[in-house]
Amino acid sequence: MIGFLLKRVLQAVFVIVAVTLLVSYAVRLTGDPAIMLSQGAGSVSEQDLQNIRQALGLNRPFPVQYLSYMQGIVTGDFGRSFMGGTSVAHLIGDALPATLLLAFVSLALSLVISVPLGVHAAVHKGKAADQAIRIFSLIGLSFPNFWLALMLVLLLSITFPLLPPSGWDGPVSLIMPALTMAVILSATNVRLVRTTMLETLSAQYVMVARSKGLRERVVLYKHALRNCSIPLITYMGLQFGGLIGGIVVIEKVFNWPGMGTLAFDAIASRDYPVLQGSVTVLALVIIIVNLLVDIAYGIVDPRIRIR
Amino acid sequence: MFTFTKTARALAAALAISGALASAPAHAAGTLNVAITQDAGSWDPIDTFVTWWGSVGSNLFDGLTMRGADMKLQPGLATSWEFLDNDTRIRFKLRDNVKFHDGEPFNADAVKFTFDRLLGPEGAKGPQQSNYNSIDKVVVVDEHTVDFVMKRPDPVILTKLAGYGGMIVPPKYIQEKGDAYFTEHPVGTGPFKFVEYKPKISLTLARNDDYWGGKPKLDQVVFRFIAEPATQVAELQAGRVDIATAIPLGLVDTIKKSSIAGVVSTSGPGTVVARYDTSRGITKDRDVRRALIMAVDRDAIIKQLLLGYAKPIASFQGDLSFGYDPALKPLPFNPAEAKKLLAKAGVKPGAAIQLDIRGSDSQFREVAQAIAGYLQGVGIKTTIKPYETPVLINDIIPQGKTGELWQMYWGGWTYDYDNTAYLMYHTGQKWNPYDKDAKLDAMLDAQRNTYKVDERQKTLRGIAAYVADNALEMPLYALDTVVGVNKRVKNLSVPGDIRFRFVEASVD
Repeated sequence: MIGFLLKRVLQAVFVIVAVTLLVSYAVRLTGDPAIMLSQGAGSVSEQDLQNIRQALGLNRPFPVQYLSYMQGIVTGDFGRSFMGGTSVAHLIGDALPATLLLAFVSLALSLVISVPLGVHAAVHKGKAADQAIRIFSLIGLSFPNFWLALMLVLLLSITFPLLPPSGWDGPVSLIMPALTMAVILSATNVRLVRTTMLETLSAQYVMVARSKGLRERVVLYKHALRNCSIPLITYMGLQFGGLIGGIVVIEKVFNWPGMGTLAFDAIASRDYPVLQGSVTVLALVIIIVNLLVDIAYGIVDPRIRIR
Repeated sequence: MFTFTKTARALAAALAISGALASAPAHAAGTLNVAITQDAGSWDPIDTFVTWWGSVGSNLFDGLTMRGADMKLQPGLATSWEFLDNDTRIRFKLRDNVKFHDGEPFNADAVKFTFDRLLGPEGAKGPQQSNYNSIDKVVVVDEHTVDFVMKRPDPVILTKLAGYGGMIVPPKYIQEKGDAYFTEHPVGTGPFKFVEYKPKISLTLARNDDYWGGKPKLDQVVFRFIAEPATQVAELQAGRVDIATAIPLGLVDTIKKSSIAGVVSTSGPGTVVARYDTSRGITKDRDVRRALIMAVDRDAIIKQLLLGYAKPIASFQGDLSFGYDPALKPLPFNPAEAKKLLAKAGVKPGAAIQLDIRGSDSQFREVAQAIAGYLQGVGIKTTIKPYETPVLINDIIPQGKTGELWQMYWGGWTYDYDNTAYLMYHTGQKWNPYDKDAKLDAMLDAQRNTYKVDERQKTLRGIAAYVADNALEMPLYALDTVVGVNKRVKNLSVPGDIRFRFVEASVD
C-alpha cells in the first residue's frame, strides 16, 4: 500500500508540473494583461504599459516567471491578483470550500436519485417503469446543464419565488445548483446502476438470499448493491473531473462564490496569478479525489487490498 | 419503491423548509441593492481600470470637478477655477468645511497629496497615471487654493478631474494605514462611506450624514458582483436586486412585462463602427468605401437587432460626446446608388471582402451577419472572421493584418471625441495601422492645444466631418446604456457611463 501511494504521489507531482506549465504558457499567448488592464483608462502610451508590466513582474522572461510561481506554490504563496493585489491564496481559500461543498452535495444528491431508480429499473427490466426511467435518463443526458439551471431559476425563483436565484444566502442557495448538477449526473448514474445491478441479480448468491426468505429490500440493498459498488466508485471518481468542469458553468449561472466563478473572471481579465492558482488547486483536488477512490476500493473490496 | 417514495417525501420536505427560509424579506428598508458585472479588486482610485469601479467609486469619492447624469461639468470639491499665466496654470478654489469619512479635513494638502501620489511611483504601477500626466505638479497656494501647473495644454483635464484617478484621497489615513490597506478599506469625501468588502461577492456602503452635497436618502447601498447578465435579470425579477446593470436586449421585454421592474435607457459612451483597410484591396478607393456604407441599412439593424436601444451615427461618437455635430448626417441607405458607385470604381459583382469581429461579442455577430447580407445585395461577398478579442485588439489590428472591414468598439467615460479621434486617426497610433494623413494630424494636434471650448468644438466637428467625407469607417451606431430598475426605487438618475451617485435616490 505504501509503495502504491508513493507511486501515485510521484505521478501527482508530475501532473501538477505539466498542468501549471501548460496553463502558465497558454494564458500568456492570449494577450497582454497590461493592455487588458488599461483598456478602460483611455489613452495609454507604450511607457505606461511598460510601467504596468514592470509592476506586475511581466517583463521577466517566461521561465523566470514560471519558476518564481512554482517556488511560491511550494511555500504556499500563490501570488497576488493583478486586479487590486488581493492575495490569491485568500481568494482560493474563500472559493474552494464553496466549490467542494457544491460538488459533494451534487454527488450525494445524484446517488440519492440514481441508486433507487437504477435498482428499480433493473428489478423491473423491460417493464413500463424501466422504460420510463431509461427515457427520462436519456432526456437528462441531452439537457445542456446551463439551460436546466435557467429553467429552474425561472420556475423556483421567479414564477414561484421560493429560492434565491444566485449567490450564497445560506444552505437554501445550495438547492438549485446542486439539483442541476445532480440531474445531469444521475442521467448517467441511473444507467450504470441498472446495468451493474442486472449482472449482479443473475448471480447465485442473490438466488440463495431470496430462497432464504430474506425481504426483497434486504436482498437488493444489502447483498446485491454492495457488489455493484466497485464500478460505481470507479465511475464516480472519473466523473469528478467532469463534475468540476460542469460546476464552472453552473457556478457562473448561479453566481456561486466558488472556484469556477473565480477562474472564469480571471480568464476574462487575464489575471494570470488567479487563473494559475485556481487551475493548480483544482488539478490537485482531482488528483486527491482519484487517490481517495483507489483507497476506497480497498475498503469496499478486501480482495483488492491483498493484491 | 418504498425507498423511492421516502426520498421524494424527504425532498419535498427539504423544499418546503427552504421555501420558508427564503421567504425572509429580501431587502431591508432604506437599502439599495445594485448588481454590477465586475469586482474592481482595488478601491483605490489610482489602481482603477475597470469601468465598474466608477459605479462604486463615485459614491465614495469626489473629484475637484463633477459631472451630472446629463454629463455636464459642475463644481465638485472645487467651487471655481480659472486659467492663469497663458493657460499654463489652473487655479482651483476649494470647498470649505469638507471632511473625509475618517474625520480628517479636506484641504489643499489633500489635493497635493492625491496628485503627488498619482503622478509618482505609486501611480506608475497602475493605468490611471497616463490620463493625468499633462499635469506637471500641484502647488499649494493657501489652505483652500491650489494651482495645477501644466506640462502641456490638456483641454480634457477638467473632465478627467471628475472621475477615476483624479478622485481626492485622504493623506493622513493612507500614510498611517498604507496603500495596501487603503485598497480594501477606501475612505473618501463622497455621499457614502465604506462598510464592508467581500472580494468577488459584494461591497457595502452606508450613508455619510455629513456629506457636503446634502444628506443622502438611502441608509445603505449594497453592490453585488454578478458577471452573468441572465443571472442579474433573474435577481431583478426575484426582487433581490434593485438595479441590474447588464441587461441582454433579448430580455428587455421580459423585464418590462414583470410587475416589479422596469427598464431605463440613456445614451451610453460605447460606439460601434466597421473600419476599413484603406491601404489595399477594393476599400482603398473612397467611392467603394462610401458605396459599402450606403449598401447597409443601419437604421434597420438598430431597429431589428438592437431593438431600438442604439442611435444612428455619422461619426465615431454618440450624441452626448463633446465634438458631436447634430448637423452631420449619416450617408443614406441607398443600394442602387451603391451599385452605381461600385460599377464606376470597377468592382465586379462577386468581389470578396473580409469582416473581422470580436468572437465573444454575440450581439455584433448578428450585426455582422446583417451587414454581410446587405453587402450581398450589392454583389459583395463578405466572409465574417471571428477572433478572440485580445488577439484582435493586441495583434491583428496594430499589425495591420485585418480584413477589408474590421469591427471597432470604442468610447471613453470622458465623452470627449478627442479620446476616440486622436487614437483612431492620428498617424502612428496603435489603432491606426493604415492611414498617414498630415491634414488630419494637424487638426487632431490643434484641438489638443487649446482650452477655448468653442474653438475646440469646431475643430473636433471638422475632424468628424473630414473622416466622414473620406469614409475612413462605416459608422454603425452608438449603444444605449440599458439598466433594469425595481419600481420601488425613486428619484434615480441613470448616467450613461454607469457612474451612479445615489444622493437623491430612495427606496419605498
